[in-house]
This record gives sequence, C-alpha cells and structure tokens, in this order.
Amino acid sequence: MSPAVRTTRRRQVLAAALAGITVAATGCTVANSRHGGYDVNTLRIVLQEEPPTLEPCESSLTSTGVVVRSNITEPLVERDPKSGDLQPLLSTGWRQTAPTEWTFDIRKGVTFSNGAPFTAQDAAFSIDRAVNSDLQCNVDGYVFGDEKLKVAAPNDTTVTVRTEKPDPILPLRISFVEIVPRTTSTTAKVREPIGTGPYAIDDWEYGQKLRLKRNDTYWGKKPAFARAEYQWRSEGSVRAAMVVNDEADIGTLLGPEDGAGELGVAFPNNETTALRITGAEAPLNDIRVRQAINYAVNRTGIVKALFRGMGEPAAQLIPEGVVGHNSNLQLWPHDPEKAKQLVDEARAAGVPVDKQIRLIGRTAQFPKITETVEVIQNELTEIGLNVKIEMMDTAGQLQYQLRPFPDNSGPFIALIMHGNQAGDAAFSVEQYMRTDGAQNGYGTATFDRTIDAAGELTGQQRQDAYAKLFADEPNEVAQFAYIAHMNGVLAKSARVDYQPNSATGDEMRLADMTFASADRTDKQ
Amino acid sequence: MFSFVRRRMYTSALPLIIVLLGVFLLARLTGDPTNLYLPESATPEQREAFAAKNGFDQTLLTQMADYLKGVLHLDFGTSMRTGESASAMALRAFPATLQLAVTTMLLAIVLAVIIGCWAAYRPNSLADRLSSLLSMTAASIPDFWFAITGVWLFAVLLGWLPTSGVDSGLSWILPIATLMIRPLGVLTQVVRGAMVSALSAPYVRLARSKGASDFRVVTHHALRNAAAPALTVAGDLAVGLINGAVVVEAIFGWPGIGKLMIDAILQRDFAVLQAAVLLTAVSIFALNIIIDACYALLDARVREPAQV
Repeated sequence: MSPAVRTTRRRQVLAAALAGITVAATGCTVANSRHGGYDVNTLRIVLQEEPPTLEPCESSLTSTGVVVRSNITEPLVERDPKSGDLQPLLSTGWRQTAPTEWTFDIRKGVTFSNGAPFTAQDAAFSIDRAVNSDLQCNVDGYVFGDEKLKVAAPNDTTVTVRTEKPDPILPLRISFVEIVPRTTSTTAKVREPIGTGPYAIDDWEYGQKLRLKRNDTYWGKKPAFARAEYQWRSEGSVRAAMVVNDEADIGTLLGPEDGAGELGVAFPNNETTALRITGAEAPLNDIRVRQAINYAVNRTGIVKALFRGMGEPAAQLIPEGVVGHNSNLQLWPHDPEKAKQLVDEARAAGVPVDKQIRLIGRTAQFPKITETVEVIQNELTEIGLNVKIEMMDTAGQLQYQLRPFPDNSGPFIALIMHGNQAGDAAFSVEQYMRTDGAQNGYGTATFDRTIDAAGELTGQQRQDAYAKLFADEPNEVAQFAYIAHMNGVLAKSARVDYQPNSATGDEMRLADMTFASADRTDKQ
Repeated sequence: MFSFVRRRMYTSALPLIIVLLGVFLLARLTGDPTNLYLPESATPEQREAFAAKNGFDQTLLTQMADYLKGVLHLDFGTSMRTGESASAMALRAFPATLQLAVTTMLLAIVLAVIIGCWAAYRPNSLADRLSSLLSMTAASIPDFWFAITGVWLFAVLLGWLPTSGVDSGLSWILPIATLMIRPLGVLTQVVRGAMVSALSAPYVRLARSKGASDFRVVTHHALRNAAAPALTVAGDLAVGLINGAVVVEAIFGWPGIGKLMIDAILQRDFAVLQAAVLLTAVSIFALNIIIDACYALLDARVREPAQV
C-alpha cells in the first residue's frame, strides 16, 4: 500500500471516528430519559411551562401553584371554588378570639409525606415563614401586602394569628399559606418541598418531567391515581394534540383553535380582561376621553368574533362568585357616536386628543390578544384618538402594569388580565383601584376612602359596599374599559373524570381526578 | 496540523471575548427583572434588597468585573428563576441540542450527497429536475409550519409518531425532519452544482479515458473536489442548527439549550442566559475549528501558510 493511499485511509478513518465520537460524546442524556410506555395508574398532565420552583410560599404564582397547591402541600383552610365558602383542611375550625386575633384548631393525626407528625408548631412556622421572613415570598405580597402577623402555637393543636388592625377576612388570607414542616429552611427557598398533601414528589427531571407519587400516609381519602406525571409544551396546539393522541390525559391553557375538538372542556377561569387607562397625562387625564374609550369598545363583538363566545362581556373587574360582584351592573353600551361626541367635547375644551396614546399588550397573554388589541386600536382611532400598539413580553409589559411606571411613559393604556383567586373583591380593588395600589392607573382620594370603608365590613354589608363601589367607579373614576370575563379551555382524555372549575388554572387538584366510569377497573 | 489548530484557537479568542461582553451588556438593556421576581406589592426596601442580592445595585462596570472574575473561575452565577447553578443548567441542556444538531447534520449531508450526485450525474434529466424542485421547496418551507403540520399529520391523523417529547426513538423523527428539511434542501443544491462543475472538469475526463468506473469517477475524483463548497455551506448550516433549534425545541418539548436561552431571555435570568450563550459560542468556535481542520485535510494550501 502506497503512503498516499495510507494517508487517505487514515483521514477517512479519522473523519468517521470524529463523527462517531461526536454523536457519542454528546451523551445519551436524551435517549436515557425514556421511561417506558403508558401506565394506566399514572395521570399524565401537560402544562404550558415547567414550574420554576415548587416552593410553597411561591404558590400564588400560577405555574407553581397549579402543581403544588392541595397536591403536595395543603393550607389550613381552603376556599370552595363553587360556593366561595371556606372549608376546613389542616384546621378543623377557626374563630375570631379578639378584634385582632384569630384562633385555628389543628387537625390531629396528620403526617407529612416524610413521616413527621404535623402539629400547631408547623402551622405557625409556615405562616411566619411565608409572611414575616426575608424570603420575599410571592404569597406575602399578593395576599398580605405590608401586613406583619404575630403567630403563636400555645399548644400542639392551636395556632393564634394576630394582626395589626382588625382583619375580617384573615382566614381567607390564611388559605393561601401552604403548610410545610418546621425543619424547612427560613433563609432559602426550597425547590422540592415536603407537605401533607395527597401526593409527594417522586422525581423531577429538570427540563423534562416531574413525577409525583401518591402519599401513602395521607390523612384524607386516597386519590384514584397512584402517580402523576407532568410535562410541558409551550405550543397550545401540541398540548391539545398530545391529549388527542393519547399521550396525555389533561392539557391546560388551550385556546379555542388549538384543536382539542370534542376533548376540549371550557370553564370560567376567574380572569377578567380590561383596558386600564393611566390617567396621569393628557388626553387620558380627562374623564370624557376615558368614558369615550368605554363607549368605543365593542366587548360583545370581541367575545363573539374573537373569543368564539368563550367568555362573557364584562361590566366590572371581578366575575360572578367573588364577594363584591354586582350582578345588577349593565354592560357599558357600545356607542361610537356618543364616544366621538365626548372626544369632540374634550377637544373643544382644549384637551389634546390628537396626542399619541400607547396601547400596551403582553404577547400571548391570552388567545387572540393580538387581534383584540388591533380591534381596539381601530375602534379608538375611529372616534378620533391617536393610538399606537405596543406588544411586549411579560417583563416589558409588567413595567407598565406595576407601579412605579417608567419615566416619560407618556399617556398609555395597558391591556390587563386580572384573576381574583381569593374570592373577595378586596384583593382586586386594593391592587387596582386604590391610588397607591401596585397596579393602579388612576384614582381619587375620595374613592380611596370608599375602598377603605368597604374593606372593614363583613357579611352582606361588605358585599353591598363593594357592589356599590363597582357601580360608582365608571362615573367617578372611569379607570377601566372592561372587556370580558374569560373562559379557560383544557383538553381532557376520555379515561379521566374531572370537572374543571374557576380555580383550576391556579390549583389543579389531582385528587379530584378519577377514572372515567367506563374505565373504572381496579387500577390500584 | 496541530499548529494550524492552535492558530485558529488564538484567533477565536477575541470574538469570544466580544460575545462575552456583548451578551452581558445586551441582556441588561432588556430591562429590570425585579417585577418578574418580586411580589406585585413589594416595598421599596424589598426591591433594594433584591437588587443588592443580585448585584444590580452596583455600577455596570462593577457588575461586569464581577462577572468576568466569575467566568475566570468557571463560576457563572445562580439562576434567579430556579436557584440552580447557571452553568449546571446550561451543561444539562446542551447535549440534547448537540445530539439533535449532529444527527440532523450527518443525515442531511449523507442524503444531500446522494441526491446531489444522482442529480448531477444526469443534468436536466427528470431526476435532476425533480430533485431541484424538491430541494428548493425544502429550503423554503418555514420550520414552524412544517413542525405543526407534521404533528397533526403524522401524530394526530395517522398516529404513526408521537407528537413530541423524548420518550422513544420515534420521538426523534419529527424534530430531526423539521430541523433537517432546510439544510437538506440547501446542501442538495450546493452539492449538485459543485458536482456538475466537477464532472465536466478535464481531470474527470482524463480519469474516464483511463477506464475508471462511473462510481469511482463520482466518488473518488469529482466528489472530493466538490466537497469544499459543500463543506463551507454545511458548516454555516451546522452553526445555525446549534444556535437556532429554538423553534423545534419549543414545539417538541426538546430540553435543549435554545429553549433554555429563550426562557432565560423572557425571565431576564441573566446568569443562565450568559452561561448558555457562552457555551453555545464556544461550541460554535470549536465547530468552526473542526471545519477548518477538515479543509486543511482536504487542501494542503489551507494547512500551511504560503511560502514566498
């Protein structure tokens, strides 16, 4: 063999070896991840995104709460999404024992999934950790604001919680605190928590799958499925296809056009969309212009044509079922002529209605958002306003949703979607309608006093006060042009019985999912 | 050869530093991550504490110096989103992308060589025109559309393949087909063009006149000379695959580095973004060195500087 031929051969061998080594060296990370076929005892759920963490004190974040809440960890009390009433869970009863103190009785015989007994000390620790620690828990900001609590466990079965001022809905707030063992870190958040829930974490392959297994020490009724497996796909059509193709049992956060077909289930999801008008600058600082925007928006047409009827045109920030909802409120009429007349009046009074207004939306916040924004821009242009659309990602849009807004923002309208998970109007109006609320675009001191007064009431008086507040806001402030109370869609396999409800988007209880009657063989 | 590779490594160092600094600065131009990570009603004190914890209260220059110091110690920081080491997240995601890209590219090259040679062997024949039409179509199809259509056709309607995921060998088919379609189209055209030129060159006529078989003429004489332009294009396409598998990874739930980068951008997770981009950049530079080395193997003029 000549040297030239030998060199050529060497090069060919070298090239082949290089290719082989490259494939092998990339590792078998992906290939090794297979776990066999379909197990009938495993509930397969496909989410839109991987939970960033399963830290229980972050459970007010949708992507975390939908996995953690009432599956891995549980609160002392829980809100029934249908009736709105509080139900006992890890607490068997609660009462107001002083104007600023509530006492909770702790359920006996409960253990954490690691075998440790659950006591009042764990409950006190969990509340203190979520609300008073330096962990910057999301539940702290969303539910408790700046409020600090004094929590004590005088014995193994009693917890007392003291507030700085009387808080008639403290048990409702406490329903957001997930209970963890007192051995949990108070200086760092945990990604994989221990809880008392019907399931415990089995295995989390970051980036690929999260598996839960039934908690055999669970104090309540044994859930139907022995295991649950979460995956995540960002495309709604792929999530729908996975359920249609029997690769998943539940697919969440779908749009009407994602292709779930007969397996799609629509449900009211407690979210309300609205234009939040920031009234700091002209021309939006003129109430005639803000009311004109309300007359211009054809909310009925948007729901019918764009949302395909999946939702209800909205007249207020909260949907039916939330304390404070005003069922007598009528939709703001769609009257472009009246809107033009108001804009003309404002122009005649010297308001610079031609000044450009930014209409800010968040990309992919809900199905058809781009079309919704375009329709609204067109409607506002037709009444004589100068509107420019700006679609942003979440971080960008949040700069205009949360105070303090960026300097020199100019007049802008933010398209928002608000979900009241708590079932009480206080959680909406304090954020959106008080002038110092984190998501407020415009308010008045007089209206703030009305909000404060409503928040101190209880029972029917509270309901009536908030209902009146929603009726008065369009005439006194007109910060919002409501669009719709939204519907969610999930895809559900025929082998699973599950009825989604208004809380499903935030808290999807695996224990509520059972084998469909036709499929009810003994799978245990 | 070793000195050639060493020279290429030295010349790659400066662009790598530019990438390092560029991603650091550009990431910070995308806005403040505080709103994404703190509760809606976070107090100014909580915001200050968050900024201090993540170093955002320092000047940009100090932040950059800290970052570079960390890089020198192979410490890329911690993800704000997950609390995990950023380098661990990037290193975990990278093999999945590399595996997909390498498999795709090898398949694309093999198929393009076969189809391109076949078409060039009989120019203007039906086979040639058919391959030209198909390769141009393949090069023009948007990958997003192809992926979604593929899911509905092969997974939902026909039930032949899984929609997504990484659970079985069948799961690879749709992602690879989606990633491969454009490189295959482009490479086929390049190979065909280069082979048509090569097959009409004098040295091929000489080989034929010496009695070489058609197969030997194509594989040993023409293809070797046609390989250089194909290699150039394949290199560019391979870089694009490593860098741009984002759509495929997002649609098929492939746990790769493209998806990780997109998530990091959307979440303003600077440490993860920086680690992922740096890892990708290093691999692209490595790939370029490999491509150059292949050139050098094919052509001695590239291997050694010109002697005057």
